[in-house]
Amino acid sequence: MSPRRSSSGGRVDRARAVRFTFDGRSYTGHAGDTLASALLADGVTVFGRSFKYHRPRGVMTAGIDEPNALVTLLKGDVREPNIPATEIEIYDGLNAVSQNRSPSLAFDVGAINQYAGKLISAGFYYKTFMGPVIGPLKGTRFWMFCEHFIRRAAGLGHAGTAADTARYERMNAFCDTLVVGAGPAGLMAAKAAASSGARVIVADLEPVFGGAAKWSANLVDGQPAPEWAAGVSDELARMENVRLLPRTTVWGYYDGNTLAALERVADHKAQPDIGEPRHRHWTIRARAVVLATGGFERPLVFPGNDIPGVMLAGAAERFAGEYGILPGERIALFTNNDSAYAAAATLKYSGATIVTVIDVRPDISAAARDLASEAGAELRLGHAVVAAGGGKALTEIKVRRFDAATGMPSGEPVSLAVDCLAVSGGWSPAIHLASQAGGKPKWDEALQAFLPPDPMQNWIGAGAFTGGTTMAEAIAEGTRAGLRAAGLPARTVRKTPEVSEPALDPSPAPVFEIRISGKAFVDFQHDVTADDVRLAHREGFISVEHLKRYTTLGMATDQGKTSNIPGLAIMADARGLAIPEVGTTRFRPPFSAVSLGSVAGERVGHIRPDRLTPQHDWHVEQGARLYAAGLWYRPMIYGAPGETVEQAYVREAKTVRGGVGIVDVSTLGKIAVQGPDAAEFLDRVYTNLFSTLPIGKARYGLMLREDGIAMDDGTTWRLGEYDFLMTTTTANAGKVMQHLEYFLDVVWPDLKVHVTSVSDQWAGAAVAGPKSRDVLAACVTGTKVDDETLPFMGIVRGAIDGAPVMICRLSFSGEMAYEVYCGAGYGLQVWEALIEAGKPFGMVPYGLEALGTLRIEKGHVTGAEIDGRTTARDLHLGWLLSKKKPFIGSVMMDREGLVAETRIQLVGVVSLDGRALAGGAHIVESGSAEKLGESIGHITAACYSPALGKYIGLALVRGGKNRHGKRAMISDPLRGRFGPIEIVNHIFFDPDGSRMHG
Amino acid sequence: MAEQLSPLGPVWKPGSHGNVAGGVGVTISETRPGSIVEAAAWHGTEKKLIAAIAKVVGLELPDGAGGGAFRNGAGAFGIAPGRFLLVDQEEGLAERLLERVPVDVGSVVDLSHGRIAIRVAGPEAEWVLAKFFAIDFSETAFPLGSGKATIHHDFFTQIQRTMPQAFDLYIFRSFARSFWQLLCRGAEDVGYEIL
Repeated sequence: MSPRRSSSGGRVDRARAVRFTFDGRSYTGHAGDTLASALLADGVTVFGRSFKYHRPRGVMTAGIDEPNALVTLLKGDVREPNIPATEIEIYDGLNAVSQNRSPSLAFDVGAINQYAGKLISAGFYYKTFMGPVIGPLKGTRFWMFCEHFIRRAAGLGHAGTAADTARYERMNAFCDTLVVGAGPAGLMAAKAAASSGARVIVADLEPVFGGAAKWSANLVDGQPAPEWAAGVSDELARMENVRLLPRTTVWGYYDGNTLAALERVADHKAQPDIGEPRHRHWTIRARAVVLATGGFERPLVFPGNDIPGVMLAGAAERFAGEYGILPGERIALFTNNDSAYAAAATLKYSGATIVTVIDVRPDISAAARDLASEAGAELRLGHAVVAAGGGKALTEIKVRRFDAATGMPSGEPVSLAVDCLAVSGGWSPAIHLASQAGGKPKWDEALQAFLPPDPMQNWIGAGAFTGGTTMAEAIAEGTRAGLRAAGLPARTVRKTPEVSEPALDPSPAPVFEIRISGKAFVDFQHDVTADDVRLAHREGFISVEHLKRYTTLGMATDQGKTSNIPGLAIMADARGLAIPEVGTTRFRPPFSAVSLGSVAGERVGHIRPDRLTPQHDWHVEQGARLYAAGLWYRPMIYGAPGETVEQAYVREAKTVRGGVGIVDVSTLGKIAVQGPDAAEFLDRVYTNLFSTLPIGKARYGLMLREDGIAMDDGTTWRLGEYDFLMTTTTANAGKVMQHLEYFLDVVWPDLKVHVTSVSDQWAGAAVAGPKSRDVLAACVTGTKVDDETLPFMGIVRGAIDGAPVMICRLSFSGEMAYEVYCGAGYGLQVWEALIEAGKPFGMVPYGLEALGTLRIEKGHVTGAEIDGRTTARDLHLGWLLSKKKPFIGSVMMDREGLVAETRIQLVGVVSLDGRALAGGAHIVESGSAEKLGESIGHITAACYSPALGKYIGLALVRGGKNRHGKRAMISDPLRGRFGPIEIVNHIFFDPDGSRMHG
Repeated sequence: MAEQLSPLGPVWKPGSHGNVAGGVGVTISETRPGSIVEAAAWHGTEKKLIAAIAKVVGLELPDGAGGGAFRNGAGAFGIAPGRFLLVDQEEGLAERLLERVPVDVGSVVDLSHGRIAIRVAGPEAEWVLAKFFAIDFSETAFPLGSGKATIHHDFFTQIQRTMPQAFDLYIFRSFARSFWQLLCRGAEDVGYEIL
């Protein structure tokens, strides 16, 4: 047993040893210990080095508010920095290292910064930006000179570079009452609400419920408070309508009573269970919230208040009461309020020698006196600690008389040998969530603290959160809050547990600082001293927001949980104002650090789902090279062994032009447009007429946005009088669907039209080439496919291999071609039947590269040209703009800017140097690799054209048609490609369309 | 006769998976109904459509979104005002329904190939589904027979409670494998069995 560990008491399991490593050295703690408690038990005093001055720092608190004892956890190659040792539950094999020190915690060269004095006081790096006004390093040069050193010296832990392999997940929860905090108030609120039948969730960031009751010496209904709390927790755990979430920090309060929480599911285990996440992010939607988040104790500001061994009185009490650890053997307490006296008694009871209690107040309550007496402590009222001494551990304190009214010390200092100084500067309610929910905190003069704002959402406060200081208040308030949250009147309470506790004075003296020369820290995590706050004041940074940013007070991982109020008090004193007149910063999420993994949840690595066509497995089996087209995976090429991409697509495209090919077009967007007004609706949506389309025919259509810009194109098939099948581009399927729904719901609710996405209902295959009809004739039953039965843009129904199909004769490739649609569940079967039927005709499957080549040769547009900037006329689709009817975009499409001669227009380009072109390359009239000319447009798509035997492309070029036959240059500096091109008509191949109509 | 092929392919791995030491938390299966159909009424014709559904599917539906019924493998639930998703073990439901739903009453779309139907059943069904959907799955908020149209990021999903501890999910077919894998991963902590 460690000398610092008492032989009994606390909730640690002394029978279970836990071995862990800190800075490479092995230690042994007990089950139930935190890293901080286990190290303290072993006599460790220094846990880390401070941010700026690299001063040795010990443990200051026992919870989430810890500013000093931040460590880095190592799991395999993964390192997670800046975790408070007070929040780490130890397990066998835990490996932690200290941070912000070099080469070691004991000897840190950065500690020399302590002697840099005023050179690195508040705002020093802002001043570094400006630099000295003379010499070679003036201005920003000085900053550039210093930056490297400042960056090396500053910062807390270092993040690793290895990928986090842990598992995370997200969870949605709904409840009638969410209780945040499971101290006495929270437990009673949960019990009251749950007993009324409400669905209750109780979340607490600690592994064990009970809050301060876990280490309190009070009696509740005659039971020791820890036992009482454990009993209520067990009772709640047995209730079916209650979900308990230990190790769960509610970190954000959002609109609609939606709260965000982080559950540390497996951080306390060497290995999570199968399927168990490390962290779980909860989104909780609660009808009512009970905020029972307790309070944070404040330190006092005096020289040497950061020496290891100086800690908060409540923390010392908790280490003794919950973990059975004495933070020192000779302990002094220094306080401005009564709560420290309870700590003194607990520490004494645990075996410590209480040297003295130093209180800035001239007089204290009778109950506090009794506790001091119980602790055997010499009482020094009207005194203050004016200095603490020691290097890596506290050895002595100096005490002088002190007038709390004037803040002036007097008399000769008295030195006392102590190894722990437990300090209390009063308590601040943890109002973070209430502040996030909206409203301005309210200053309470008696408690010298900001209390929660008036609720702007449905929350009810209880316990120390509302400023209550006794357990009896917490229990009563918690019960009332639980009932109110459940919608029951407070009088429903019959009886609440009786608490036996000392009648302490709740009001602290308004003393935050003992103003004596020396480094007195306000923000321990960022090394902000009281002098820094005064410097900010002298330099004009007097608003709390400026104070925070200039000095960094209240920043970093602890977000000023211990420092905000002392910092404000010192600024208020400097300005001669009361604290509430200086103001306070509002809190925003998160309350404490949140793992990014938990926010990502299951969306890691390949973060978006794959959409697969029914023929996907066939493509893979055939060795197709796939690439992502939005969420879809589509074949790029079906490469033969040894073929390059270009060789493959050229071969595929050539086969289509010379024989027949087949391509998977299942990804096209497909929308069922149905209803008595469907034809009228399509007339309004498309630029061209659809009401005249006969049943059993398809028509190519173009849609504009309301501003007259082209939006999407595709064919729409009339399957019945009131039944249309609209196809869209793959990329725009969702956008078009939203567009249609918007106009039906908002603009034309009188139209009787329904639109339904059927993209996944139909598998599609396009069979293209001069022999395509032969292939269909060989496998389609139930219908003829000759020119008379199935003319261009005609639709027939039949079957392939027993599966019903719908065939439309239309072409994207420019060849005679057919799109064959069948139910997606039959997709593979029909595809394979087509492949089989195509074998005698030498049919090959072709991918998107060949498809792109064929369409470039034909000058057909896609999303590369309908890019959100082009008009129908820019793309030579003016012939689709009906003059017989209005349509979406028709009013705006003739605006001056959209019909200007100088607009970009679709053209073809031909490489004149025999080298490939690339999409995105600019087109310039003149220029070179060295001197870039002015861009007159850009290439949208490019390929090697097997039909022309040249590298060609489509481009959007200013002046368009007028440049046909002219030469220009492509300029692609990113890829180092410059060269001559000729601008030509955008239709390279079969301009009269005889092949597809043949 | 052609037979519909499951979109799950190689990701369908029957058997027990995940942490089954404490028993199987959920069973996950593809229910493969014969028909999945969406039917929608015009403003004012909702009751006529509901009557037609009752005739054809044999299920009495409450008026409005979300309400539904499930019996003998046939299900129907509102997915939007005047819009219903209907499921039947027999093929040809769309055709049968069209006979009773003239164009002045509403529209009918066959989605039998367009959606995959996945059943998540078992004592941990609510827990597993709550990982994916911001929906209150408790029986009071989501009673037997009722349904919801919702989304999990990229997965548009329609869900019906078909048994006290079972939910049937309808997802776009092309997303089937991705969603199935995600669902299985989400069920690992409670242990799951693929049927």
